[in-house]
Amino acid sequence: MFGWTGNILRVDLSNGTVKKEPLNLQDAKMYLGARGVATKIYMNEVDPNVDPLSAENKLIFMTGPLTGTFAASSGRYEVVTKAPLTGTIGASNSGGHFGPELKFAGFDGIIFEGKSEIPVYLYINDDKVELKSAEHLWGNNVFETTDEVLKETSMDARVACIGPAGEKGVLFATVMNDKHRAAGRSGLGAVMGSKKLKAIAVTGSNSVKVAKPKEFLESCIDARNKLKAHPVTSTGLPTYGTQILINILNESGALPTRNWRDGGYFEHAEETSGETLTEKYLVRNKGCFGCSIGCGRVTRIPEGKFKSFGEGPEYESGWSYGANCGVRDLAAISKANFICNELGVDPITMGCTIACAMELSERGILSKDEIGRTLKFGDAEAIVELTEMTGKREGFGDKLAQGSYRLAASFGYPELSMSVKRQEMPAYDGRGVQGMGLAYATSNRGGCHVRGYLTSPEILGVPQKLDPLVTTDKAQWLKIFQDLTAVVDSAGVCLFTTFALGLPEYSAMLRSALGWDIPDEEILKIGERIWNLERLFNIDAGFSKADDTLPPRLLEEPMPSGPAKGKVVELQEMLIEYYQVRGWDENGIPTDEKIEELSLR
Amino acid sequence: MKVKFYSYIRDYTRCKAVDVSGCSTIRELLCRLCELYGKKFHDAVFKEEELSNEIIILVNGRNIHFLDQLDTSINEDDEVTIFPVVAGG
Repeated sequence: MFGWTGNILRVDLSNGTVKKEPLNLQDAKMYLGARGVATKIYMNEVDPNVDPLSAENKLIFMTGPLTGTFAASSGRYEVVTKAPLTGTIGASNSGGHFGPELKFAGFDGIIFEGKSEIPVYLYINDDKVELKSAEHLWGNNVFETTDEVLKETSMDARVACIGPAGEKGVLFATVMNDKHRAAGRSGLGAVMGSKKLKAIAVTGSNSVKVAKPKEFLESCIDARNKLKAHPVTSTGLPTYGTQILINILNESGALPTRNWRDGGYFEHAEETSGETLTEKYLVRNKGCFGCSIGCGRVTRIPEGKFKSFGEGPEYESGWSYGANCGVRDLAAISKANFICNELGVDPITMGCTIACAMELSERGILSKDEIGRTLKFGDAEAIVELTEMTGKREGFGDKLAQGSYRLAASFGYPELSMSVKRQEMPAYDGRGVQGMGLAYATSNRGGCHVRGYLTSPEILGVPQKLDPLVTTDKAQWLKIFQDLTAVVDSAGVCLFTTFALGLPEYSAMLRSALGWDIPDEEILKIGERIWNLERLFNIDAGFSKADDTLPPRLLEEPMPSGPAKGKVVELQEMLIEYYQVRGWDENGIPTDEKIEELSLR
Repeated sequence: MKVKFYSYIRDYTRCKAVDVSGCSTIRELLCRLCELYGKKFHDAVFKEEELSNEIIILVNGRNIHFLDQLDTSINEDDEVTIFPVVAGG
């Protein structure tokens, strides 16, 4: 077997049994791996109307055919299940070393089903797979859990786990691996917690075989040379991390400020920027498995009330806690981000939910008594305290643990949640980056930037300059980005390689790894198939055209200043065009012809 | 006018921002900045006579690519931003 290992583990947590099964190779050919194959397996086996936190839901960890190979930045794996935050398909991927180690143990993925009565963790040591009690680990944070599991299994193992947030059903709890890396969005950690699955440890002694080693090596070296030659992947990301974007989006007038209320310019952005992080707190950069980029940040706040050590913050969390909460203290932002990693919380939704609470509080909708403290935009201590309380579901944190939509709706103001399909939008204001508005509205997992990152052409001009203030061609570009992203995610390589690589490079690596002889277009078609499969899941789960929308603030409140002054997101015209480009009907449902063309049903 | 620098452009300018007057186009402004900051800055910004495709310049938040590129006219009260192509996400 080349690329894939050909083996899947099926773990029934209700009965405590573990089975080894063959990977369905027909599915693997059509859906590649990771996000694609896991979604296909999930849809074959689970009712889309399942309660995400019930025993009937399943939780799938899946690698791609390039995971763990010499391919560029091949450390990725995907977690797929129905997402408790959104009710859509949930698919979040993560780097680090866990995914490759699972391949080295001889498995492409793990399907968890049922629900254990007592907390357990799974230990995989090549073919020896066992469920062990995790009763003594329940309640521990991510770092404590990882250290203890390593001690009990093998110091060479790689560990994925949940923190207290996942145990307590925080609707945006993460699955963490290698301590600091997260399958972060949509609350997949809460599904793991509902199954009483605390951790997975894996160690393996095999390698991943490829079909044409010489050609594969050449295609990987070509890709790596391109990563080294491109300014984003050779200099920008390693030196400053993702947070370098703070100043750039701010200067472009599209950095959402104070729950998106105050437009796209944060007057204190420089203090929270990647440049400032590098100057004041960065210890060193850090890469995942097989990565030459090394965008990770090892960060130390050396003194003061936010003294701490950890990894990050990334651009999104630097923004969600910074500009979006009106907070200018980078030490507090970093500390809040570290707590997210320790407790297993998504910092995008967390920061955005606090920002929403800040606006509810400033408007007098939420009282000091209900929160347990005063709460205003700019309160650095609040972001740290409320994150801790949410991860542990203490006090007002219990309310915040539902995310901003449910919080705002419970007070009668759902429009103050800056979310799509109940998931908070990240750090690009669609009024100033029109294509990102369409990307949020159509993402298969709700408010999300990593399904079709049009910021790249619209702000950075990569691979081509698109005017961020117009809607022209955005639908066509978004479709290509969404389809290619599905290929990259499903291959098991990092999305950040797309700044320097394109379809030809991914196709060359996949063809030589798998021994395929198909053109690039057929590989992009796999991405389109995956995108449509996810769409079909969401339709079966009850989503419709009415959900492909944005908060009223983006559709009705004109941007108050900057280059996009006076603009709203011109969503309707882009959406109509998008459905046409996708080959969907006017209600956003894939036509019979499209379904047949993609061999979907 | 105020000119702001970001990311590793600051390694060449050794400052975050500078006030410049008497330039009527972006091309004139860049030539002035090259005199101020020397060869490394010049090599980062220009590719032969044209703007390097690794550099982005905004005038009041608008990319000059969508204005008149290097011939974009500028006034004393404009704000110019210069940064390399860097990314996040």
